Formats: sequence, structure tokens, C-alpha cells
Amino acid sequence: MSHEKINECVIPKDLHYSVEDNTWVRLNEDGTVTVGMTDIAQHLAGPILHAKAKGAGTDRKKGKPIATVESGKWVGPVKSPVSGVITEVNEKLAGDAQLINRSPYREGWVVKMKPEALDAELKEMVTGDQAVAAYKAKIERDNIKACNHIEGSDTY
Amino acid sequence: MDNEGKKILVIQTHGVETPTRTYSPLFYAMAAAAMEMEVMVWFTMNGTNQLKKGEAEKVQLDKSSNVTLKTMIQMAMDSDVKLRVCQQSLELWNMKKEDLIDGVEILGATSIIDLSLNADHVMYF
Repeated sequence: MSHEKINECVIPKDLHYSVEDNTWVRLNEDGTVTVGMTDIAQHLAGPILHAKAKGAGTDRKKGKPIATVESGKWVGPVKSPVSGVITEVNEKLAGDAQLINRSPYREGWVVKMKPEALDAELKEMVTGDQAVAAYKAKIERDNIKACNHIEGSDTY
Repeated sequence: MDNEGKKILVIQTHGVETPTRTYSPLFYAMAAAAMEMEVMVWFTMNGTNQLKKGEAEKVQLDKSSNVTLKTMIQMAMDSDVKLRVCQQSLELWNMKKEDLIDGVEILGATSIIDLSLNADHVMYF
């Protein structure tokens, strides 16, 4: 997958991003979407201790939490970038929440959802070069230090 | 179990003289807020002194990190946790409204009783 690195933070260009909430969306062939936290999000949280997702079948409006994530220094929601129903939860996170740190865009996905208003909501997200530009601006604005990657992280 | 919308009231009676007792109540408040609960932290007794301008910045549990008690208070506010302080306890620390950090509301003793009765759960520290 084509990607860009800004300040050591990885931004795959094929994903759609809700920049303010630091989440990504991957469009799957079966009409579902996969949702996860960005590399910047895992960096800001630090090594994650617990990730608790809402169960399959949960109906979420965009912006509502699909999971709560906690590290030693932070606890907060993962806000849904789309409206829809959770169809699958990444069960691996229950036993190894640091999958989010090591592999935010692959093994560490959070939930899969059946979106309800995808076309409209995708327009509110950014992808490709537009996403890279948006994150570049955010990293500068929020003075985000170089992304830290714990041992065993995916390499790009 | 879905606890969305429930009301949690956290009562914090510890202040800057006991740093290790200051972070956790705010952390639990943030956790509850992340779980979509309505959360309020009520500062009283010694807890009040951490809301005095310039004090929370001095409390740093982990010297290797730049996170201070002020960071925790700000993160709680950013998570929509409401911060309230006991009016009577302000006098204990010779504090006036203008000594408080921004974003904290002052309430009296009768309010805390109402809030306790209306909360789904109260946590005392």
C-alpha cells in the first residue's frame, strides 16, 4: 500500500481519515468498512493497556464511541467515523491491545461496520494526498513529536 | 452491559500535598466520560487546593514525562467532565473565585446532596 511518512508518522494513502478524531476507514469489497486508530493516535496514547470495543450489533451514529482505549497516561473514546452497525470486533485486541500500537493499519483494526450513510460521510473525510496534507497541518498545529513505534511494529 | 448516559459523581478530597492521590480520580472520570457517561468531579476539603491557579502545574508524578496534574485536569475538561468546587471549602484555603482555574463552577453544600442523590454512582476519594 502506498503511504507517506510525516515526522515518522505513517499515513497510508488508500484509507479515508477523520483527521480530528484520528481514525481511519478502509472500504471492503463486501460493503462493510474496517475502522481503526491512526499511527498518530497510537503514538499520542502511548503503549495501550486495554481496548474495549462495543459489541457486534451496536448501532452507532458518526462521532459516537465504538471503543474505549486506555494507556498508562490516557483514556478516551475511539469515535466512529461513520454511522452504521458494528458487524465484527477485533477479538485479538482483548488479549493484546498493543496490536494497535504495533500495527495500527493492519492487525490492530478495531471494528468492522455496515455503514448507513457512507457516500455522504466519506465526503467529510480525507484520503490520498489530501489526507497527507491534512495530517501535515495537524502535526504542525498540535506540535506532535515524531511518532514513536514500539518493538515489533510494522515497518514501512 | 451498556452504561451509556449514567451519571457518575467523583468526590475528590485530596490535594497537592498528596500527589499520588490526585491523578487517579481524574483518570476514572475520563474513563467514564469515554464510556459516554455524564461525569462530574466535586472537589472539597483538601481537594480544593489543586484548583488554585498555578498549583496543579507543580504536581508531577512521573518526572520523565511532561504530564502534570494540570494536564490531567485539562484532559478531564476536554473529555466533557464537569468540575465543581465546594464553596465552603474555598474559605479553608483562603481562595476566592478569581483564584480558581478557568472552567470550574462553585456550588454549595446543598447542591452536592442533590447531585449525590441524582447520580447513579458516587465514587469517593
